[in-house]
This record gives sequence, structure tokens and C-alpha cells, in this order.
Amino acid sequence: MFRYLPFVLKNSWRNRRRTTLTIVSISVSLCLLGVLMAIYYAFYFTDATPSQALRLVVRNKISLAVPMPEYYRDKIRQIPGVRDVAVSQWFGGVYKDRRDPKNFFARFAVEPERIIAVRGEMKMPEDQKQAFIHERTACMVGKALAEKQNFHLGDRITLQGDIFAVNLELTVRAIYDAPENNEVLYFNLEYLDQAMGSKRWGQIGTFYVLADSPDSVPRIAKAIDDSYRNSPVQTKTESERQFQLGFLSFLGNVKMILLSICAAVTFTIMLVSANTIAMSVRERVREVGVLKTLGFTRGTILSLILGEAVAIATIGGAVGVLLASGLCGFVRNGPAFSDDIRHLSIQPPVALACLAVAAVIGLISAFIPAWNASRTSIVEALRSTE
Amino acid sequence: MTDNVVIQTSSLTKEFLRDEFHVVALKGVDIEIHKGEFVALMGPSGSGKSTLLHLIAAMDVATGGNIRVLGQDLRALNDRQIARWRNENIGFVFQSFNLIPVLTALENVELPLKLTNLKKQERLDHANTALKLVGLGDRTGHFPRQLSGGQEQRVAIARAIVTDPALILADEPTGNLDAGSAQDILSLLSQLNKEHGKTIVMVTHDPHAARFASKVRYLEKGELLAEGAVPAD
Repeated sequence: MFRYLPFVLKNSWRNRRRTTLTIVSISVSLCLLGVLMAIYYAFYFTDATPSQALRLVVRNKISLAVPMPEYYRDKIRQIPGVRDVAVSQWFGGVYKDRRDPKNFFARFAVEPERIIAVRGEMKMPEDQKQAFIHERTACMVGKALAEKQNFHLGDRITLQGDIFAVNLELTVRAIYDAPENNEVLYFNLEYLDQAMGSKRWGQIGTFYVLADSPDSVPRIAKAIDDSYRNSPVQTKTESERQFQLGFLSFLGNVKMILLSICAAVTFTIMLVSANTIAMSVRERVREVGVLKTLGFTRGTILSLILGEAVAIATIGGAVGVLLASGLCGFVRNGPAFSDDIRHLSIQPPVALACLAVAAVIGLISAFIPAWNASRTSIVEALRSTE
Repeated sequence: MTDNVVIQTSSLTKEFLRDEFHVVALKGVDIEIHKGEFVALMGPSGSGKSTLLHLIAAMDVATGGNIRVLGQDLRALNDRQIARWRNENIGFVFQSFNLIPVLTALENVELPLKLTNLKKQERLDHANTALKLVGLGDRTGHFPRQLSGGQEQRVAIARAIVTDPALILADEPTGNLDAGSAQDILSLLSQLNKEHGKTIVMVTHDPHAARFASKVRYLEKGELLAEGAVPAD
């Protein structure tokens, strides 16, 4: 079949404008498909980092929005295999102007020493660490967040409460660097408690649990949930990775949304491609007759036309993958609701999947025109004047 | 049938429906063409000349009668076998050249050889030889649009002979050419017949072209006239 490759490529390039437009339309669609597949891959196929693999997140079984008693921490700490526990309370609130999405970032009230212990991958100078631990109104921000918001050590940050009816005046005392969750602001839970007085009633949103090994994680999760199975407030414990995906479900059935858009994009481009290929084949029916006269079989003619369509679609797919790679850069730097988006890129399996989809689009869209052309009788084909 | 007979038909009939009309294109044609003959098929439009040529090349299927070409009963072959048989035994020259526009002269001539087991260099050597034979050894890299009508038809003839077929079928090969180019093409076909022993069947309207043939047969309303007979008008 390789001996026909030059012929196939020359035929593909026969009508340059049409071929270019077809490649462009396929590449734009494949670019969108590539980014969607990259997001899907990042969410559902990326393994937990080594530090994530050691962490579990405990929340109220009913919902993440419903708090649970803070004293659960003491019992969780006693479960074999648990190395440390850190409480974490989503603060929400407003920074500067709610209408500007750039001002949205995660803000958590935490126990400084504990969160630094549980999130051991966070790196910062020792003096900054100590300042964050010992100063009640201190806050610690991720390096990426600091760069984005232009935060510097000593800056004052005012957060207007919405879930909690208090305004907090924080001072940046530490800037940490970490491979993930690098756009988070942590501040002292004690400050929130004092600002709220007795209104918080010892309730907390989540516990971050550090296990002694990844193998202990499933057992610890079961042990925690079993401990509170008969309590009025039951818990749901999952790995940090699962928890992040669960957080994503607040947006709806993300998996279904992504797959539906992917299917719609693929189907649409298939129709466009089919129309173009059909046009191209119709113009060359006479040539099909000539090829048959020379001794080409139906099967060879079918293969030639399919090969041509697959070549065009695959080139479009390759361009689309390159475009998608560039677009991922924009998405990475834009406002993100998930840390996975921060590391969005076209991974080799996604690139291969895109190329395979492109090839299949070419194959399917050309099949009917190619089949009909290969079945046309020589006399009928030679009579064609198109 | 002797070994010398290349084409033999008996009661060959071709009927088809065009729109709602029943058309009889060929009516009981009996013809025998021998090895090394150059036969011109003449007759008015719609007389069945091209239909007969298509049946000989197994490009169409007869509705009645028998046809043997180069000793092969064409009805006994399936599609794949016919394609192979055509590639090995038949060279076809069209009125409108029908070269592939995206291929050079050399690549056009090489095309039928891609169906053989020849290696690339062998294919190119054969194609070059065929082009030299038709006098276009210096035009191998030209695309059809860069050639004159006469040169295009020469390339088409080179493509028809490159597999060294025993039988060359030409359907109005000079129909689209000026007088000078037509003369060259007819001389070339005559040379292939006389010097290389190719059996040639040529459909033509042109009495001048027919003079290059060793034998002329006339068709009228689908019927083959007796040898030596000419239409009344």
C-alpha cells in the first residue's frame, strides 16, 4: 500500500484551497476537542502526587457545605496509621471586588502548625513559617497566587466575610511554594474563632489527615467513617484526589458535559469533512473510471480515497493538537477552579487519541463517497463530465 | 478458435435501459480479429462502436452472446480477475487522453506498473522506455497541463503500452487533436502495430485515420456489416 502513498498525497493536495480549508476546519475542531480531552485526562486519569497519595480528606457525609464537630479530630488522630490531622475551614469571602473573577481564590482558616505538617510539600523560609505560626492575623499565600495578585510580605489583605459575618484584616507573613494548591491563602483559625466569638460553635468543614503510608489510606478512610457510622453527624473520608474530583461535581456532571461536547464536536466535523470529501470524489469519478481501466480494483480505489481522507484529517488533527497545546497554556494562566487546570497540558495519550479521532473522522466521512465511487462502473464513470 | 485469434465474438448483444427507453446498442455481433491486425471500427454516432470496444476491454458486460479475448472467456472472470487481466493484457487509449493531472508524464506512465510486482526503479525504467518510444523522453517531468494535446495523447499511449499488453484499444484517439498531431498519433499506432506486433482495435469517425488500419469494419445501428461492406449513405 505504501507504493500508492505519493499518489495519495498528491491527490490530497490537488485542490489546495479546499484541502487547506478542510485542514483548518478539522484542526480548529480538534484543537477544541484536544483541550476538552486534556481537561478530561487531567481530572480523571492523572495519578495523585506522592504527597497527595498520603492524604485523606474527611467531611460531613451529607455535604461539603455542612460542617461537622471539630472535636472529631482527637478521635481521628488516635486511629493507627494516622500521622497528623489538620482542620480546614473554607472561609469564602470577598477580596476587593467580587465581580472581577481575578479576585477569586481559595481562602482557608487552618491551624498553622498542623497544615504545614500535613502539607509537607509546602516550602518556605523558616522565619516566614514561624511568623505565620505565631502571629494571629498572619496569613500564608502560595507563590503562584502571590505573583498573580502581586502580594508581598507585609502586605495587608482585607477579606469581607459572606459565609461568616466578619471582616478579616490579614498580613502576608509567608509565601510558600508547592507543586500543587499553589494559589491558596491560609490564615489562622484562631483569628476566625475570636472574630466570630461563640457563633462558630466548634464546627469545622474538613479534616486533612496525613497517613504513614499510601497503603494505609484505604484502611484509615474506612476506620474513620466506621467510627462515626452511628453518630448523628456521619463522615465521608476519601483520598485527596477523590475529594478534588468530588469538589468538581459541584459544577454538575462534568464527565458527561465534557463527553457530550466532545461527541458534538466530533460529529459536526465529521459532517463537514464528509461533505468536502464527497465533493472531491464526485469531481473525480471520471478518473476512477480511468484507474479501473488501467487495472485498479474496487478495493484499491476504495483504499486510495480513504487514504486521502485519512491523510487530510490526520494532518488537520496534528495541527489541532499543536493548537490545543498552545491553548492549554492560555487556560493554565486563566482563572481556574481546579488545581488540575493549573497543570493542563496535552499529554501523549491525549495527543494520540486526538490523532486517532482525526483519522477515524477521515475514514468514516469518506467511506460512503469512496464506496460509491469504487462501485461505479467504468462506462458510467467515463461518461461523467463533472 | 486458432491461436492466432485475439478477439472472437458470437451473437454479441448489448441492451440497456436509458431513462424509460430500451436501447439495443449491439445486435448479434460476430467478429474475429487476428493477432497483429490493426482494425478500425467505423460507423455513425450511436452505431455501437464504443460499446463493442468496451465489451472487448471487459469494461462492460454483454447481455447476450459470447466473447473471448486473448483466449479468455471474459464472463468466467470475477471483478478482481478482470482488473488484473485488463492490467496485463489491455492498453486503452481514450479520446480525451484522461491523464491524471497531479502526476507528471513519467508518473502517469508508471501508474499501471504500480499494480505489478516490479520494484520502483524497474517501474521507472519501464516508464522511461515507454516515453522514449513515443518520442517524449525529454518530457518526463512535465505535468499534463504543460503538454500539448498531441503530447498528452503520446503520454496516454505510453501508459497504454508500458505493461506490454498484447492488445491496444483506442477510442477515437485523434478526436481531440489537430491534423498534424493526429497524423503523429496514427503513425505511432501504426508503428506499434507493424514494428512491435501489437494488435490494435481503433474506433474512429475519421476516414483518414481509418486508412492507417489494415482492416476497416463498419457498424450500423448496432449491427456489424459484413467484411468489405460499407453503409449505404
